[in-house]
Amino acid sequence: MITTVTLNPAIDREFFVERDNINLNQYIYHEQNIKVTPGGRGLLSAINLKKLGYADVQNIGFVGGKQGLFFEKMVQEYGVTTNYVYTENEMRNNIFVIGKNPVTYTHYNDYTYRVEPNDIEVLLERFKRGIVDSDLVMIAGSVPEGINFDIYQKLIQICHQEGKEVYLHASGEELNRALKEEPQVVAPYFRHINKILDIRTVRFEDYYRVGRKLQEAGAVHAIVPYHNKQLLFDKRKVYILSAKNFRQRNLLGASDAYHAAFFNYIFRNGFDFVEANRHAGAAALAVAERKEIFLEDRAQVEENLARITIEEVEVDIDEFS
Amino acid sequence: MSLVKKYMMRTLNSVCANENVAEVIKLMYKIEASVLPVVDKDNKFLGTIYSENILKNVIPEQYGVLKVHKLLPEVNQAVQNLQEIKSREIKEYMSPTKIAIRETDSMNNVAEIMLENEESRLYVVNHEEKLRGYISRADLLCYLLEMEEVEK
Repeated sequence: MITTVTLNPAIDREFFVERDNINLNQYIYHEQNIKVTPGGRGLLSAINLKKLGYADVQNIGFVGGKQGLFFEKMVQEYGVTTNYVYTENEMRNNIFVIGKNPVTYTHYNDYTYRVEPNDIEVLLERFKRGIVDSDLVMIAGSVPEGINFDIYQKLIQICHQEGKEVYLHASGEELNRALKEEPQVVAPYFRHINKILDIRTVRFEDYYRVGRKLQEAGAVHAIVPYHNKQLLFDKRKVYILSAKNFRQRNLLGASDAYHAAFFNYIFRNGFDFVEANRHAGAAALAVAERKEIFLEDRAQVEENLARITIEEVEVDIDEFS
Repeated sequence: MSLVKKYMMRTLNSVCANENVAEVIKLMYKIEASVLPVVDKDNKFLGTIYSENILKNVIPEQYGVLKVHKLLPEVNQAVQNLQEIKSREIKEYMSPTKIAIRETDSMNNVAEIMLENEESRLYVVNHEEKLRGYISRADLLCYLLEMEEVEK
């Protein structure tokens, strides 16, 4: 079994309109112009893993209120096993308005979800018994209001007690604290501002410093997004991953496909950090160049492998320290 | 042959035997279920807790035949009874019956087991008896409807 953790899931509602006019009452008459999908980092990777052919993929986390039941039903449609702690408070709804002419993209990100201390206790208990059969655990995304910064640290502690390796895709203070538990792979992401570990990332050197700092703080391996590329921090060497002839069509889903394909590779072939990233990059490419946000199958990853290049980065570390 | 894995709900919503009655009632309310699987710390299926099991211990026997003017005192009695048991562990109230099915079982067998045992849900376990989800009566009916349409 593969387990993904999503503590702050959302119902994503996308509205496709001809023109996104403010102060105008618009009508949508065709159902293809409204897309309602379950969202949240971790969950989307779980759905991709199902598409890649895994029978047993689980998503653990919180869902809230009456919308939680609706959300769980939507997730079930993808064949992902749900293991949710239901909270009193209603969960999040993210609104996307996508205009066609001119092309616009408006996103209202709902950060109102709140969980109570008792919900967290229940989650930790559920997590303990939820991962007993897991071969890999991915912890991803933001956390709701009401949760302490050490939540990911606690979850990783539980994983390590059970002998499970952890892949962490996080940001902010939750990430900083979690590093103390030395997760196997850390892939930070940017939230609101271009900062990771309090380092503002502008130049290449800043991204490089982020990766090294992640490792100094505990990450065994790190994957740092660098514009449309990735910096890969192996135990000793650093690589840069890029794609040939890349043409972006889609802003959603590429990073979730990346993480799913990374898991897919190590699940099948054992831990090879560089090769797993090559497959991950091919998967992200497949999604970023299409409209659909999920992978179709494994063949789609294979098709794009040749377009991924990974080169070692020679950096004089002292120069940046 | 239609298999359970096609119709089952893949959810691990469950409670442990040492959780208390109040927690279980709250969970039943939140997920709109009157029955929950009980598992151990390794997710092994131990049995089932029905809302009826709890109600039997809370509501006085004569509750069902009460006249309206007597209802209020009886409700007060039920509240008091619940107060007394709400902190107790649900292992006292669960049904340790372990009728469970596998993902690879035929849906035809499910119909038989469900009707024979008068269960509203049958829990699905793996080869190690660990919980994997459930099949409800609605799932069974959906399957039967599909069969009926195929036979037309």
